Amino acid sequence: MFNLSFFKSILLLLVVALATSCSKDEPIIPEELETETYSNLYAPQTGGQGQPVGGAFTKFSFSRDAVVTDDSWDIAFRGTTILVNGGAAVGIADEPTRTGTGAASMLTSTLEDVVKVPEVSTFKQDGPNTYAIPTGSGNGWYNYDGATNIVSAIAGKIFVVKTHDGKYAKMEIISYYENAPASPDATSPSKYYTFKYVYQPEGTSF
Amino acid sequence: MNEIIQEQTGLITVPDFGGGEGIQMQGLDAAYVMILIDGQPLFGRSAGTLDLTRISVNNIEKIEIIKGASSCLYGSEALAGVLNIITKKPKITERLKGDINYKLASFGTHEASTSLQYGKKKIGVEFFGNYLSTNGYNLSESYFLQTVEPYYDLSIQPKIKINFSDKINLSLNSRISSQKQDYKSEIGANKYAGDSKIDEWNNSLLLNQAVSDKFKLMYDLYITHYKSKEYLNDSNHQLFEESDYNQWFYRPEIRSQYKIGRNAFIMGIGLNYETLDRTYFEKKATLNSEYIFGQAEWFLKEKWNILLGFRYDKHHQYQSQFSPKIGINYKWNDNLSLKTSVGYGYKAPDLRQLFFDFTNSSVGYTVLGYNVAEEKLALLQSQGQILFSNNIDFSDPLKPESSINFNFGGYYKKNKLSFDYNLFYNAIENLIDTKIIAQKANGQNVFSYFNINKIFTYGLEFNATYKINSDLSISGGYQYLIAKDQNIVDQIERGEIFARDPATLSSFRLKPGDYFGLYNRSNHTANIKINYSIPSIKTSINARVFYRSKYGIFDSNSNNILDQHDGFVKGYFVSNLTLSKDFKYGITLQAGANNLFNYTDRNNISNLPGIQFFTRLQYQF
Repeated sequence: MFNLSFFKSILLLLVVALATSCSKDEPIIPEELETETYSNLYAPQTGGQGQPVGGAFTKFSFSRDAVVTDDSWDIAFRGTTILVNGGAAVGIADEPTRTGTGAASMLTSTLEDVVKVPEVSTFKQDGPNTYAIPTGSGNGWYNYDGATNIVSAIAGKIFVVKTHDGKYAKMEIISYYENAPASPDATSPSKYYTFKYVYQPEGTSF
Repeated sequence: MNEIIQEQTGLITVPDFGGGEGIQMQGLDAAYVMILIDGQPLFGRSAGTLDLTRISVNNIEKIEIIKGASSCLYGSEALAGVLNIITKKPKITERLKGDINYKLASFGTHEASTSLQYGKKKIGVEFFGNYLSTNGYNLSESYFLQTVEPYYDLSIQPKIKINFSDKINLSLNSRISSQKQDYKSEIGANKYAGDSKIDEWNNSLLLNQAVSDKFKLMYDLYITHYKSKEYLNDSNHQLFEESDYNQWFYRPEIRSQYKIGRNAFIMGIGLNYETLDRTYFEKKATLNSEYIFGQAEWFLKEKWNILLGFRYDKHHQYQSQFSPKIGINYKWNDNLSLKTSVGYGYKAPDLRQLFFDFTNSSVGYTVLGYNVAEEKLALLQSQGQILFSNNIDFSDPLKPESSINFNFGGYYKKNKLSFDYNLFYNAIENLIDTKIIAQKANGQNVFSYFNINKIFTYGLEFNATYKINSDLSISGGYQYLIAKDQNIVDQIERGEIFARDPATLSSFRLKPGDYFGLYNRSNHTANIKINYSIPSIKTSINARVFYRSKYGIFDSNSNNILDQHDGFVKGYFVSNLTLSKDFKYGITLQAGANNLFNYTDRNNISNLPGIQFFTRLQYQF
């Protein structure tokens, strides 16, 4: 009997505490962040097939949910390579100049389960011979099957991207093929990115 | 050959590139099964697989199958097990004996063979010749490319045995085989055609000397040459691509055998010398090693028997290996015996993994063998082809892939029933796979070979035969198998592997129970065989059914592993039927059908053509 009433009083205290803390935070009701899906971002490259790779990167802004051509880009795509707008040039042909404070942190999770921006130490910027978003099969966002020549976006690779102006977005790449077919084959047009993301204009939680 | 294998419990024939087939044993790939003809290893593995269709069947006396790691006797390659194909031996008959066979089958298949035996006084001779030609078959919709292209194969096997005295005899066995197959390729809209040719020559010289009743010596020299050449021409008959493969292998070996009562001791020494010259090797590669092995089998009291074996291979191109094995047999009574064994097996890195120097001409990536990677990478770097290198240290030699194998089995026989079972477990480490070592200026990667993966397989095998009467017997077999990658099991345990639903495109975390295991492994395989003979009309009927449960061959949900949410190849049955009737004058007529119910899965099972009818005529004298 004593135990039960003790439990009840604890519960009551908790409810009071919760109620008071709620009322304190009342002015900021976080706006429900939307999960966007951007389809068919085309990221062509010249060369390849044994020739030097080149061509302009396709630049994307999370805040504008669009491909951009000015310096307000956050990430840029060319073939399977992705750059961030922060740090220094990697040293490859036709790279855009870094003008922002962008960086990226790679996590293994689902998009929904990433609710906080990870620690600062996990963020990397581009620099000479290094990429914030690692390249190569199995290293970063994709696996490449040499037998079928298919690039498949690895499930559960989440990138938290620090944008050019210091905001955050979390992103998962879904497909490298036009219209994100369930099982792409050698004839599917490639270099068409589909990705899901959530942009956080303020704060560090999603 | 492949049909015989498929009907053995626990042996699964799996398709290989270009329509060939290899054997999976205890859940391990064909690359880890050693194939011997009369105790001598076969060569010419393409991407690790020895194509079984290359071996002609008609002169096989029996097939010995050793499951589990057996490097203690056979050295490298005998990691999953050993398949020893024993062909007929020359007999001193004083009278010419032999047979002539002709087989006609669907898919334009003709096979003619003969075997002849003759002997006089001290010399016996055996000759076997086989010619096979087939149109192949096509499961795809392509009119240009077939699933298996037409080929022909000609093999001859002359053997001589000379008995110098009761104590000394000499055997000389040769096998000469030549195969030619159409070879085609389609790259984009361009069509290429050519052919692929294999010439093989195995030669073995064996001198047996009985020093005393108890002590015997065997001097064995084996030389083999495997050569293949393939080319493709474009539609204007201009050469587009060609490749060569030229391998020599020499092995002198001396064995001794000493017997005291039932106890036996074997000791042997030998050396291997192998060279390979092929396209994509800068120069001829050489592997050489010396080895010593020993085995003791002795009986403790009436019921116990212990087998101890070891082999030490001193390799000059990679880590030397010590392979021990211990086995214990316990004979409970006349009906029941139990046995258990623990052994070590390994597979040396192959010459490609050590010496490859290959750049893909259309995509531009480069693959370098481990032993030449450092030097070749420096060369590419000096040519300005490298964007950046991962600075990998190549100073430690590449390790062989190795396994520890446990078997625990039993055998029971009483009256009409006999059965045996075996529980097995294999833990394999240092599996060799490719890893990126540098990125090229053209955006492609440079790969080399490393010891990466760790896998395990375990399961149960069970065989039973029941003789209903002298004319009718039924036998069956079953294997349960689990084969998994240890790293993936750990990663799923830690919640690090996800899958993406291909329809909704949303990702979810895999649970430990979701992991199915390695590609191309079925949990259940089984077979049933019925033999029925009707002596009054000299006819026998032989029916075989083989079952394989579902398995996966590729990932379909973006995690590079096979999980329960992936697409699978459906489980299937294959049934074969043979009728055989003996006539007068040594004539036998056979007719039947393989894959009687015409099961095919054109997208997933390339080594299973539709129903194949056959008829065979044999004349024995």
